[in-house]
Amino acid sequence: MDDYIVEMRHVTKRFPGIVANDDISLGIKKGEIFALLGENGAGKSTLMSILFGMYEPDEGEVYIRGKKVETFSPNHATELNIGMVHQHFKLVSNYTITENIILGMEPRRRIAGIFPAVDVKSADKKVAELSKKFGLEVDPTQKIEDLNVSMQQRVEILKMLYREAEILIFDEPTAVLTPQEIEFLLEIIREMRRKGKTIILITHKLEEIKKVADRCAILCRGRLVGMCDVATTSTKEMAARMVGREVSFELGKEPAKFGAPVLNVDHLSVKNDDGFTVVSDVSFSVRAGEIFAIAGVAGNGQVEIADAVAGLAPVSSGTVTLAGKDITRSSVRARAEQGLAYIPEDRQARGLILDFTLSENLMLKRYYQEPYCVKNVLHRDEFDKKSRELIERFDIRSGQGEQTVVRSMSGGNQQKAIVAREIELDAPCIIFVQPTRGLDIGAIEHIHEQILAERSRGKAILLISLELDEIMNLADTIGVIYNGQLLKTAPADTLTTNEVGQFMMGVKE
Amino acid sequence: MKRNKTSPLSRAFLAVMGNEKRQAVTIPLFAVFLSLIAGAVLMLLLGKNPIDGYISLLQGCGMLPKEKYAGGKGMFTDLMGYLDIWTPMLFASLAVAVAYKAGLFNIGVSGQMLLGGFLASITVGYSPLPAVVAKPLTIVVCMIVGALAGALIGVLKYKFNINEVVSAIMLNYIFQYVISFFILTYFVNPVTRQSETVSAAARLTLQDVQLFGMKTVVPLGFVLALIAVFVMHFFINRTRQGFELKAVGASRSAAEYAGVSTKRTILMAMSLSGALAGLAGATYYLGYLGSIQPKVLTTTGFDAIAVCLLGNANPLGILASSFLITIITKGGTYMNSSIGVPQEVSSLITGLMLLFAACGVYIRARLKRVKDRLEQEEKEAKKEGGKA
Repeated sequence: MDDYIVEMRHVTKRFPGIVANDDISLGIKKGEIFALLGENGAGKSTLMSILFGMYEPDEGEVYIRGKKVETFSPNHATELNIGMVHQHFKLVSNYTITENIILGMEPRRRIAGIFPAVDVKSADKKVAELSKKFGLEVDPTQKIEDLNVSMQQRVEILKMLYREAEILIFDEPTAVLTPQEIEFLLEIIREMRRKGKTIILITHKLEEIKKVADRCAILCRGRLVGMCDVATTSTKEMAARMVGREVSFELGKEPAKFGAPVLNVDHLSVKNDDGFTVVSDVSFSVRAGEIFAIAGVAGNGQVEIADAVAGLAPVSSGTVTLAGKDITRSSVRARAEQGLAYIPEDRQARGLILDFTLSENLMLKRYYQEPYCVKNVLHRDEFDKKSRELIERFDIRSGQGEQTVVRSMSGGNQQKAIVAREIELDAPCIIFVQPTRGLDIGAIEHIHEQILAERSRGKAILLISLELDEIMNLADTIGVIYNGQLLKTAPADTLTTNEVGQFMMGVKE
Repeated sequence: MKRNKTSPLSRAFLAVMGNEKRQAVTIPLFAVFLSLIAGAVLMLLLGKNPIDGYISLLQGCGMLPKEKYAGGKGMFTDLMGYLDIWTPMLFASLAVAVAYKAGLFNIGVSGQMLLGGFLASITVGYSPLPAVVAKPLTIVVCMIVGALAGALIGVLKYKFNINEVVSAIMLNYIFQYVISFFILTYFVNPVTRQSETVSAAARLTLQDVQLFGMKTVVPLGFVLALIAVFVMHFFINRTRQGFELKAVGASRSAAEYAGVSTKRTILMAMSLSGALAGLAGATYYLGYLGSIQPKVLTTTGFDAIAVCLLGNANPLGILASSFLITIITKGGTYMNSSIGVPQEVSSLITGLMLLFAACGVYIRARLKRVKDRLEQEEKEAKKEGGKA
């Protein structure tokens, strides 16, 4: 017992309404890779935030190297040689790598022995050495804004190493990386273990745990439900424990009845704000009653396809046809009226106006139509009447009914509100982008049922998701996107998960 | 590790401030309350009686009787004078509010006021037109000019992505100096060193009127300003365009997603804001003053920002907050002459009000924390009760 470098005893942390961590006790040995597995909202991040000093536990104690932690603050955690790479990086984008790393503990020197200045040069050297030692391959003088996500993550890692962290916490480090970058990161993590660091990996991806971790703690709804040696436990067993029951991905999917093509995308290319081609020459069509799913690793152009079809991103070449009408140059509203519903990826920035009420948000696509708006005057009672109907039908839960400010609602209910609004449009074509991101199991099932119900109703559905399981379960046809190109389009039952996974990584036939 | 119980003081504070909806009213009132206390402390430090000070503010605005009045004047005279200066403030604050609702900061209200006032002065104010034509024409010219000046900022914003604050400040300078040049070259009155006074026919405030046996001014624009408050309230809350305007202000990307044309909305918001600023200019330069002092930009457009924030950018809130702030600014003159409190003290109180109003977000967050804690405690108490 005494060789644990980190020990948590009976840690409980409550937030208003939920118990994020419920009486958790665990120990982490020096020099191991310790994985924390659990679904979204299982309490992984909260637990590690306690270790990093961002929260104070309501009950229980934390021991580092056998000594009880009395003060909880990130600064104190840094003094105890604990470092954390957050899911969202905390970097100054117009500073160089070195400047970001030394921020807050700048080495000083004096110009001409008098004027104090920051000694960037010696810091550059130290950063370069560290980078080499752990195989991170960064150029310390580059600016953050010129780096891709994977490089930025390495800067975060270097930041911890520079502060001589011995215990390194990674919060969902692979969520934003491509498969190759994931491999590279896992190699870095192994290298750090070889150099004697202790690593804690927060993730919900089983394969990664299987690849690098030594031991694994499984959290489910705030409780510690299992502790296992990774080498001797199968992924299936871990998955079952993580979800809290046998995982069955079977959904009641009716046999397909395809109709005529509704949405046609023909040789579509899209450029981003910087003028780079992010979607190149993509063609597909979605028939009535079909779920066409686009699979791919994040950032390969999926979201841009959806935005281009919905009219939120300019098309640089190619055409988009909806129900026989060319909508390539139509306005967002014209497309919606032509018969397009869109559940966007970013529900808080795109899909909802957080400071508006639920009623106003449910009417966001209809507010200008009769009977909600007559001669430019809004009829709020009609808003509320329709909203109450939708709230009832889609089981949207909120504190003050249709008058709730959406910001105060949970993520799952926010998403339900968007889905309710878009389905209510009764459009022949519906685009779902990442419809279940960040939701708990119950909400995910609810949304999946809705998608399948719309399919049965004969809607053409374009589903874009990063969750391969979701795609394999729902899709009739799968298109795999890599680097802005559709590498493979085939009926779902002719593809295995493994094959799709390979195409996602850019392996061609 | 047991958390401390919530103190009775914060419980009481929460009870007074009420729920989120009521806080929209109680937090600005709290800010006013704090700044009045701070003002009182300031007056005490200066060796003056703060109660006398605040009474003199009200006296200066004709809301309490003074001890003595000059011949032919009375409380009613002061009250009308107060309405005369309140009118442009009300318009200017509405101008700031409309832009603010669309997520834009119109800091150019003063410049738009000046441009509207100047062009109306030289076209209508110096013309021999009769009053029935000249007065409405003054209003129309000011509105159109203001709307165009506002629209210019809107175009720069959406066409070239120029920050509206920067372009508005620059345009303030441009208007101020170009107009000064024209006034000093062509329209200056050599005695007053201001522009020639506009004709009585064009002027929106009637001068030297005998009413109730007292000599007074009659600010006709005030009626218009009151109407504007209720029209704007209706526009923002009940019309389709108002809804789109608020949507763009609350989340531009979500508004775009919903099919709102953000460009058109920005342009509309800035034009409307400019038109209201033009009305402020009309009632200020062709009403309250009657002439334009060159090389000076009125502070009305900047004070209006404070008024707007204190009034939560809500037209009805602005009616109340501009009423209050105008008392302090207008009454400051009398407070100075009657009991010798420097006029700067009244500016200081206004400034403090803005400062405390800006702390509203902090107060709101604090209140929310207290509330969450109370709920948590109640739950725990219930749980323990259930166990026992």
